[in-house]
Amino acid sequence: MLNIKNLKAQIEEIKILNGINLSVNAGEVHAIMGPNGSGKSTLASVIAGKEDYEVTDGEIEFESEDLLDLAVEERSNKGIFLSFQYPVEIPGISVSNFMKTCINERRKQQGLDPMPATDLLKLMREKMELLNINSGYLSRNMNEGFSGGEKKRNEIFQLAMLNPKLSILDETDSGLDIDALKIVANGVNKLRTENNATIVITHYQRLLDYIVPDFVHVLYNGKIVKSGGKELAYELEEKGYDWITKK
Amino acid sequence: MSENLKKIEKITSSKYKYGFITNIKEDRVPNGLNRNIVKTISKIKNEPQWLLDWRLKAFSHWEKMKEPKWQNLNYPEIDFQDLCYYSAPKEKKKLKSLDEVDPELLKTYKKLGIPLDEQKMLAGVAVDAVFDSVSIVTTFKETLKKAGVIFCPFSEAVQKYPELIKKYIGKVVPYTDNYYAALNSAVFSDGSFVYIPKNTRCPMELSTYFRINAANTGQFERTLIIAEDNSYVSYLEGCTAPMRDENQLHAAVVELITMDNAEIKYSTVQNWYPGDEKGVGGVFNFVTKRGICHKNAKISWTQVETGSAVTWKYPSCILKGDNSIGEFFSVAITNNFQQADTGTKMVHLGKNSKSTIIAKGICAGKSNGSYRGLVRINKGATNSRNFSQCDSLLMGDKCGSHTFPYIEVKNNSSQVEHEATTSKIGEDQIFYCNQRGIDTESAIALIVNGYCKDVLDQLPMEFAVEAKKLLEISLEGSVG
Amino acid sequence: MSLINNLEKYSKTLLLSTEEKNDLNSFFSSGFPNISDEEWKYTSLNKIVKNDFVVEDLPVFDEDNIIDKVSLGFKNKIVFLNGKLVSSPKIDGITISDFKSFKSKTNNSILSLNSSMARNGFSIDVENNTVLNSPIEILFLISSTRNTFLQYRNQINLGKNSNLKIIENIHSIHENLAFINHFTQVKCDENSIFEYNKTQNNKDNFSLIDTCNIYQEANTTSSVNTLIFGGSFIRNNLNFEQNGENAESNMNGVSVLNGSQFADNHTFVDHKKSNCRSNEVYKGIYLDKSKGVFNGKIMVRPESQKIDAFQSNNNLLLSDESTIDTKPQLEIYADDVKCSHGCTIGQLDKEALFYMKSRGLAEKEAKALLTYAFTNEAIDKISVPEFKDKCEKLIAEKLNVKLDFNH
Repeated sequence: MLNIKNLKAQIEEIKILNGINLSVNAGEVHAIMGPNGSGKSTLASVIAGKEDYEVTDGEIEFESEDLLDLAVEERSNKGIFLSFQYPVEIPGISVSNFMKTCINERRKQQGLDPMPATDLLKLMREKMELLNINSGYLSRNMNEGFSGGEKKRNEIFQLAMLNPKLSILDETDSGLDIDALKIVANGVNKLRTENNATIVITHYQRLLDYIVPDFVHVLYNGKIVKSGGKELAYELEEKGYDWITKK
Repeated sequence: MSENLKKIEKITSSKYKYGFITNIKEDRVPNGLNRNIVKTISKIKNEPQWLLDWRLKAFSHWEKMKEPKWQNLNYPEIDFQDLCYYSAPKEKKKLKSLDEVDPELLKTYKKLGIPLDEQKMLAGVAVDAVFDSVSIVTTFKETLKKAGVIFCPFSEAVQKYPELIKKYIGKVVPYTDNYYAALNSAVFSDGSFVYIPKNTRCPMELSTYFRINAANTGQFERTLIIAEDNSYVSYLEGCTAPMRDENQLHAAVVELITMDNAEIKYSTVQNWYPGDEKGVGGVFNFVTKRGICHKNAKISWTQVETGSAVTWKYPSCILKGDNSIGEFFSVAITNNFQQADTGTKMVHLGKNSKSTIIAKGICAGKSNGSYRGLVRINKGATNSRNFSQCDSLLMGDKCGSHTFPYIEVKNNSSQVEHEATTSKIGEDQIFYCNQRGIDTESAIALIVNGYCKDVLDQLPMEFAVEAKKLLEISLEGSVG
Repeated sequence: MSLINNLEKYSKTLLLSTEEKNDLNSFFSSGFPNISDEEWKYTSLNKIVKNDFVVEDLPVFDEDNIIDKVSLGFKNKIVFLNGKLVSSPKIDGITISDFKSFKSKTNNSILSLNSSMARNGFSIDVENNTVLNSPIEILFLISSTRNTFLQYRNQINLGKNSNLKIIENIHSIHENLAFINHFTQVKCDENSIFEYNKTQNNKDNFSLIDTCNIYQEANTTSSVNTLIFGGSFIRNNLNFEQNGENAESNMNGVSVLNGSQFADNHTFVDHKKSNCRSNEVYKGIYLDKSKGVFNGKIMVRPESQKIDAFQSNNNLLLSDESTIDTKPQLEIYADDVKCSHGCTIGQLDKEALFYMKSRGLAEKEAKALLTYAFTNEAIDKISVPEFKDKCEKLIAEKLNVKLDFNH
C-alpha cells in the first residue's frame, strides 16, 4: 500500500529525514518509535504533504501512485488520514459542519451528490457511539476549548467518518489518561480491517499494549535504525533508546 | 534679506557682542521670539553660518504654523511672545546649606533614598568638599574616550564635530515635522550628543545625570544619538532623581539614528513639576522623539512619565531597514490635575520589521491620561509584525482614561494585533493585601508596580529601583 | 455640474422651514466632509460628489417581479420605489406611515443635508406591549436611467415592553450612479427590544452613507447587524446613546469586499448611565483591491459606573492590494468599568488550512470555510434564520465557492 524509498526531507535547510525506507501493506499495523527530535512527526507530516517540508530526495508511493506530486487534500481523498499530535482549533466551525463539508467535498470528487442530512447524522451518531462521545459534541466548535483527551477523540472520530485506507496516528497517546487511551485505542481497533493499514507514531510503548503492532521501527536521526516485531517495543521500554543510539 | 535685518545683524555681530555675553551672565535674553532672538542664540553659541541659516528657516516655518489642537489636552493658551528663549546656562542662586532648600523637595529626595551629597547637588547647594561626582565624571570620560565614544553637550559637538551635526541634524525630525519641533529647531539651547563608532558596544550606560555641566540645559533641549554599524548604546534621559524644573514650557527634540545591526536603548524617567494638588503651575512638556532603524537595527524606547502638568509625547520608530525592530514600553501616571497624551508611532517600511508596544496608563485624582498611537504597515513591509497592548488602570471616579490607536495596514502578509483594556484597580486585590496586613496605600503601590512590571523590567536596574519609588510617590494621596 | 451645485439649485425650489433653512445653510457652509476632518480621515467622498446627479423626485418605476426577486419573502413588507412608499403592511399595535418631519441631531453636514432636504422615508410607531415575532422587511429599491442622489429620513419609536425586528435592504437596480444619504432615528422606550438587520449588497455604481442614531431608555436591548457584501462606497455611522440604566447595545458587522469596493464602519456608543453594556464585533474580509475602514468609539461618561463594554475588530487581508485602516477608541471618565477592545489584522491560519486540507478539502474550499468560520462570531448573533441563511449564501457567493455553511 505505502512504499517509501530513501526519503530525505528538510525544513529551512535543516535536514530532518535522512533516507527513510518503509513499506506498509494492507491489514498491517506499524509502530514508529524514537526519541524526541528523531523525525517521527516530520515523517507523518511529509506523508500527509505539509508544504513546510522540502523533500530533497527519495519517493513515496501510495497504491502504486507517486504521492509527492499530490496536494494535501488529494492525498487525503486518496485515503490517507493524519491524526494530528496537536489538533488545530477552528473557532466558528462546529464539528458537524466541518464533518459535513469534508464528507461532501469528498463525494463531490467522486462525482456523488451530497449525503442527505439524515444519513449524515445517522453516520455521525454511529461513530460517536463507537468512541463514547456524547451528543452535545457535534455543535461545539472544532477543538475549541476541548481538553487534550477530547481533541484526540475528535481526531479518531474523524478517522471513523472518513474511513481512510492508511491512518497515521501521530502521538495519539500524548496527553491522554489511561481511560481515554483505552477508548481511543478501542476505537482504532474497531476500525481495523484487512483492507486498511495503520502507522502508530509514539514515544512510549504504553499505547502499543492496546494497539498491537505487527512491526516496530526505531527512528533515529532521520533514519530507521532498527526494525522488528512487537517484542522490540518491550525491549526498548526496558533498555531505553540509548540501547539503540549508542550502537 | 531686508536692509533693516542686515543692519541688525551687523550690530548684533559686532558692537553688542559683549553686551549679550554680559546678558548671559544675567541669565536671559529679552522675552519674545523673532529672527533676532534666533540670531542672538546662535551668536552666543558661536555657531557656524549653516546652523544659523537652518535655525532661521525653522523659525520662518514655525511662524507659518498653527499650534496643534488635536490632542486630548486642555490647557490655557501659551503666549509664545511672552516667553524667554534663552536662559541658560542658568547660574542658580547658590544655597549655602540644605536648610535653605524647599522642604517638600527634600522629603521627596529622602523617600527616594538619595545620598546627602547628591541631594545637595540636585538641589543646587554649593558643595564645599571635592565632591565624589567630579571624580566619577573624570573616570567615566576616560573610559568612553578609550572606546571612541563621543558624549558631550550638543553645543560642544557643534564646535568639535560640525560635520556629524550637519549630516544628521533634522534628518529624523525635520523642522517641518510639527509646531514644537519647528520651535525647538529655531531656538534650541543645548542638549546631548552621542556618537558610537562602528563595532562598538558603549562600555557604560550613558546618562545626562553624569553630564553635570549641561544639567540645566533648559527648555529647548536637542539630543542626537548616532549608533554606527554593529554598535550598541543604552542612554538614560532625565535624571536618576527628580529634578523639579519649574520652567513653564519644554519643547525637546530627540533624534536617534541606528545604522545596520546597531541598537539604541533609550530610557526616560520624566518627573518635571506636575503642578500642585489644585492644578496650579507645572510644566508643559511637548516632546518630539523619533528614531530611524536601518537593516537589522533596533530601537527600544522605555519611558516612565510621572511629572509635568501636560505631557505631549510620542517616541517613534521609522523601521526603514529589513528585519529592523522597534519597541515602546511606557508607564504614564497622572494624578491631581495632570494630563498626559502619549504613545508612539511605528512606521514599518522594511521587510520582516517587527514592533512591540506595551503602554500602561494609571490615572488618579482629576487627571486625564490618553494613549495615542499609530501603527502603519506600508506596502513594501512584507511579513511585518506588530503587537500592541494598552492598558489603563483607573483610581477614583473623577479621572479619565482614553485610548486612540490608529492602525493602517497596506501589506497583506503582515500581522497586527492590538489589545486594550480599561479597568478599576482590583478591590479584591486590595482586600487580599489588607487581610495580609498591608495598608491600602502600600497595597496600591504594590499592585501598580505589578501592573507596570513589563515596562519597569525594561529599565536598567538602578533606574528601575528609583522609577518604582517614583510611582509610589506620584500616587500618594490618590486613595480617598 | 457637481452634486453640491445640483443641490444648491434644487434647494431654491423647495419651501423650507426656518430650521430647515438653518440646516441647509450649515450644510452649504461646510460642504461635504473631506479627509482633513478627523472622522473622515480615511474616507474620501471626492470621487462621488464631483459627479452630476439628479436630486429631484423620480417617478415610481415598474419592473416585473422586482420586489419578489429582492425580498426574503416575509409577509410584512414596506416597499419604496425610487423614494416613494408603495406598500406597507397593517399590523396590530403598529402604525406605519410615510415620511413625517421630525427633529434630530445635526452634528455633521451629512445630517444637516438630510434634515433640511430629505422628504422620503418611513415612520414606525410601536405601541406599548406590542411584540411582533416575525420581522418587518423594508426594501428601498432604486431604478433610474440617470445618476441619482436620494435621501431617506426614517424614524422608529418603540413603546414600553415592545419588541421589533427589522430587515432592511437598500438596493439599486440600474447601471447609473446611485448615491444615497440614509438616516434612521430609533427611540427605544423602557424594556423594549429592537433588532435591526441591514444588508448592503450592491453593484459598483452604488454609494451609501447610512446613519443610524439609536436612543435607549432603561432595560432596553438594541442590536444592529450590518452585513456588507458590495457597493463601491459604503459609510455606516452607527450611534447609540444610552439614557437609562441597564441598557444593552449590540453591534455586529461583517464586510466581505472585492474589486475596488470600499466600506467604512463608524460606531459610537455613549454610555451615559450606570449598569449598562455594549458589545461590538466587526469582521472584515478584503479581497482584490478592496479597502476597509473601522472606527469604533466607546465613551463612558462621568458617573456612569459598572459599565461593561467590549469591542473587537478583526480583519483578514486576502490579497496583495487590499488595505485596512482601523481606529478603535476608548474614552472613559468613570472608574468602575470593564472596557476593552481588541483589533487584529492578519491572514488565514496556515496550520488550520493544512489541517483542513489533510481532511480532503481543496485549497479554495478550505480557505472559504475558514473565512466563513472567521465571520461566524458575528453572523451567529443574527436571530432571524432566513436572514442568516441569506447572509451565509452571500458569503459563499462572494468567496466564489459552492459551500453550504448551514449547520
